[in-house]
Amino acid sequence: MGKGSSDQILELYSNLLLEIWEDVSALIGETILALLFQLAINKVEEKYPFFAAVHLSEEGVSLEGVKERVRSLPAVEIHRGFQGFMTHLFDLFTTLSEGVITRELFPKVIPKVKEAERLISKQ
Amino acid sequence: MKLVFKNLNVLRSMINDINASSDLKEIVESAGANLSALFDFSSFGMFWKDGHLLHLYQEESCPPSFTQGVVKQIIKVYSALMGETLDVERVNLHVEKKMLNPDQMRVDPMATLKSHLTLPIALEGEILGCISINSDQPNAFDAQDLQFFSVIGYQMTATIEHLQRLSSVKNLAIYDTLTGLYNRRYFDEKFGTEAQQAFVNKTSLSLVLIDIDHFKKVNDTFGHPEGDKILRGVATLLKNSVRKKDTVARYGGEEFILILPEANLEGASMIAERIRKLVENTSFDIGNAHLNATISLGISSFPSHRARSKEELLKMADLALYRAKGEGRNRVSLYDPAQNP
Repeated sequence: MGKGSSDQILELYSNLLLEIWEDVSALIGETILALLFQLAINKVEEKYPFFAAVHLSEEGVSLEGVKERVRSLPAVEIHRGFQGFMTHLFDLFTTLSEGVITRELFPKVIPKVKEAERLISKQ
Repeated sequence: MKLVFKNLNVLRSMINDINASSDLKEIVESAGANLSALFDFSSFGMFWKDGHLLHLYQEESCPPSFTQGVVKQIIKVYSALMGETLDVERVNLHVEKKMLNPDQMRVDPMATLKSHLTLPIALEGEILGCISINSDQPNAFDAQDLQFFSVIGYQMTATIEHLQRLSSVKNLAIYDTLTGLYNRRYFDEKFGTEAQQAFVNKTSLSLVLIDIDHFKKVNDTFGHPEGDKILRGVATLLKNSVRKKDTVARYGGEEFILILPEANLEGASMIAERIRKLVENTSFDIGNAHLNATISLGISSFPSHRARSKEELLKMADLALYRAKGEGRNRVSLYDPAQNP
């Protein structure tokens, strides 16, 4: 799978995380959300070091720095990394609010994840 | 629209109450008292990491099974956020029971926790605790509830931050930042109080004024940072050498002062001599060297020295210290009225 697919996967997940950020920050505020994002990053960083380049602030989440780090990675690796990250993030959402946050997100997240899997399966 | 306005008004009122709170318990009660206007809930609580305190503001009819469930849930969330398990047995639980909503049905005696919203309290990236709203009904909370709850959480966090800053400002006002001892300002206040009590009740009160010998030489030879180490070291020795009721303060550059209530001249002399020996026998690590410092001490005591005011008592201690310096340093000197009429 070529570099183009890696770029596509990264762009898909970048946009998805931005949407998650926008929706969830409206529910719980940027400060708490940044904390949760960081906790999820901490869980996956060891296995997927490119997450160290994710920039979090109260203004939002930026994956600009991640592009460089994933340049040589296959798309499937990027996909698995983000899947792992989102699993941890959603676990935190569920722990805090049971289904309240995840219910708001599933309609957006599920189609995007399916799209990512479709891109990967073209490999 | 009317409901939104009503809720916003309740929120505003709650924020004002939280803002006016002066400790954690009050914060919880201020929030809890207003929450029933916004939510149907059975219990509201704040867990605070320091001391493992859990304050619950709870419907009075909630059974112990429900309370236990709430405690476990809050600790489970906190543990998940911290990445380490906290034993529920270590929680210090305080429950304020209220009839939250007279129109609401009382909670079933067999009720258990069915739904909750729990959010972290974090300051500067550090998680300090959690707040939680809980219900014995399933799916009791929705996205709008979460929005309101998060606003409440942010206000509580802001109030806690403000209280912490106030506490540090208060600390700055009475503590010397270098040594951690009380500062001169605090000494003046404390001495005033202790002296008044002693003079009125005719009880003993002693002062010990202490000066580090040849301190200027230490600073000139080794530099001020190393000199500061000596100050801190001596301060620690002083703190550890006095009784609980005594006050140790930094009086000036290299001067310290002890207020010893209910200590007569003999008692004060014993304490002073013990301190002198301790400092003399302590080796301070200064640069690449080990340095032994000595101190001179001057003692005045009421009623032995017949001071008629606190100023006079202080002056007597000063004169006694001056004599200790004059007679060779590294000694305890008592105020002598014969030498200082």
